[in-house]
Amino acid sequence: MRPILECQRLTKKYGSFFALSDLNLSLGRGQIVGLLGPNGSGKTTLIKLINGLLVPTEGHIMINGLAPCPDTKKIISYLPDQDCLDSHMRVSEVLSYYHDFYDNFNAKRASAMLDALGIDRRSRLQTLSKGTKEKVQLILVMSRDADLYILDEPIGGVDPAAREYILQTILANYNENATLLISTHLISDIENILDHVLFLKNGQLALNASVDEVRAEYGKSVDAIFREVFKC
Amino acid sequence: MLRKLIIYDLKASAKIFFLFHLVFLIACGLGRFCFMDRIDFVHSSPETLLAPVTIIICLAIILVVAVNLFSWLMTAFRFYRNLFGKEGYLSWTLPVSGIRHLWAKIISGCVLMWIDTIVIWLGIFFLVSGRNVTEAYAMISADVTEMLGLPLSMFSLYMFLFTALSCIISVIMTYFCIAVGQLFPSHRILCAIATYFILTFVLQIAVFLIMILSGYFNDYINSSGIFSKELSLILVPSFLFSFIIAIAEYMITHYILSKKINLI
Repeated sequence: MRPILECQRLTKKYGSFFALSDLNLSLGRGQIVGLLGPNGSGKTTLIKLINGLLVPTEGHIMINGLAPCPDTKKIISYLPDQDCLDSHMRVSEVLSYYHDFYDNFNAKRASAMLDALGIDRRSRLQTLSKGTKEKVQLILVMSRDADLYILDEPIGGVDPAAREYILQTILANYNENATLLISTHLISDIENILDHVLFLKNGQLALNASVDEVRAEYGKSVDAIFREVFKC
Repeated sequence: MLRKLIIYDLKASAKIFFLFHLVFLIACGLGRFCFMDRIDFVHSSPETLLAPVTIIICLAIILVVAVNLFSWLMTAFRFYRNLFGKEGYLSWTLPVSGIRHLWAKIISGCVLMWIDTIVIWLGIFFLVSGRNVTEAYAMISADVTEMLGLPLSMFSLYMFLFTALSCIISVIMTYFCIAVGQLFPSHRILCAIATYFILTFVLQIAVFLIMILSGYFNDYINSSGIFSKELSLILVPSFLFSFIIAIAEYMITHYILSKKINLI
């Protein structure tokens, strides 16, 4: 089966700084992948390149065999690391927005999750707390039947209770045939749900292995290995 | 998809746009009933009329410029925020091509600017359509028609059409400057503003040079003295030049949105 994501000699430069350098990567379907690395390692740059928000300096990126284009955007559900919704919109309007633009958006699923959290659909996003806004955004992203979910720092900056809710939401709504790419540096919180890990260091892959292989080879948790690899 | 993008663009701007223009129309109404209708143009001496007429013209100009500037800024702000600000993270991950985004923004921007133009002209028309003004104008209409070279109503219609067409050029130029600004690694808004001023300056110099070199000013000096003809000698070539530039700006903006997106 064709990999869902392929990067060939992928390079992204900001001025003279290499955010990603000659990155080769291939991700199969039906797994939860942790994209791990310290701040500035190139995680968000890679995610932006996959989503077509940046243009590579060199190399290629293929999603389901296609370069980033409207067709690849149909099958990617992306949670950015920042608030991307128009804060003047009501929750109900954002639901309509997703429903209008994404054929694979499941409005019933989104409504059920919003109801479970007691979020009033008439509320404007600007009146919601930061944590609630992040939950709304996650609900929208996880309510799509996508082939590739990309979550950039989904648990960064939220309290432990919210983290648990977010992880539960991800697991409950994640399609087993889809691939889930989660970028974070809070490894201990997500280690148990990961199938595969990618360590990014200075824009290059420092490790690309399944969690089972990592544990068998090093006899340590992913978190412990991360601390060793990225020791300051 | 294009239709949906346009609808969401218009909806995002509708409320504040409507409010601002409503305030403008109310101001025009107040100006008419509380000020213009109380002026006796026929029996007052020119010295008595000078102060109130000057005041109302100045206020009207300030109001029109403010409303037009507001609409233009709103169009520019929507383009920047929706495509290059935080909202860009959602906009650019919609299953929509860059060209559709651009056309949606051009159409919605033009629609807003056209509505703005229509409202401004309606406001001005309402301000000066009182019986005292029309009666006073009837006394000088023959002179004005002779000076303009055509009736004031026709002249106003031509000016309205010219303004409406200029909206397209203005919208494309604004988007071009913002798109160029986002190519810079930082201070993108400042770079967009700088691009706008530099481009405006260069275009004005270029139009001026083209007019000198092509002998337009000779035609202008030797023209009949009819205002509308003199004005068209300046406006028509200037507009055509701006239109050609707008096509080039559109093509560059299209290229940037298709190949050079860099959300940072």
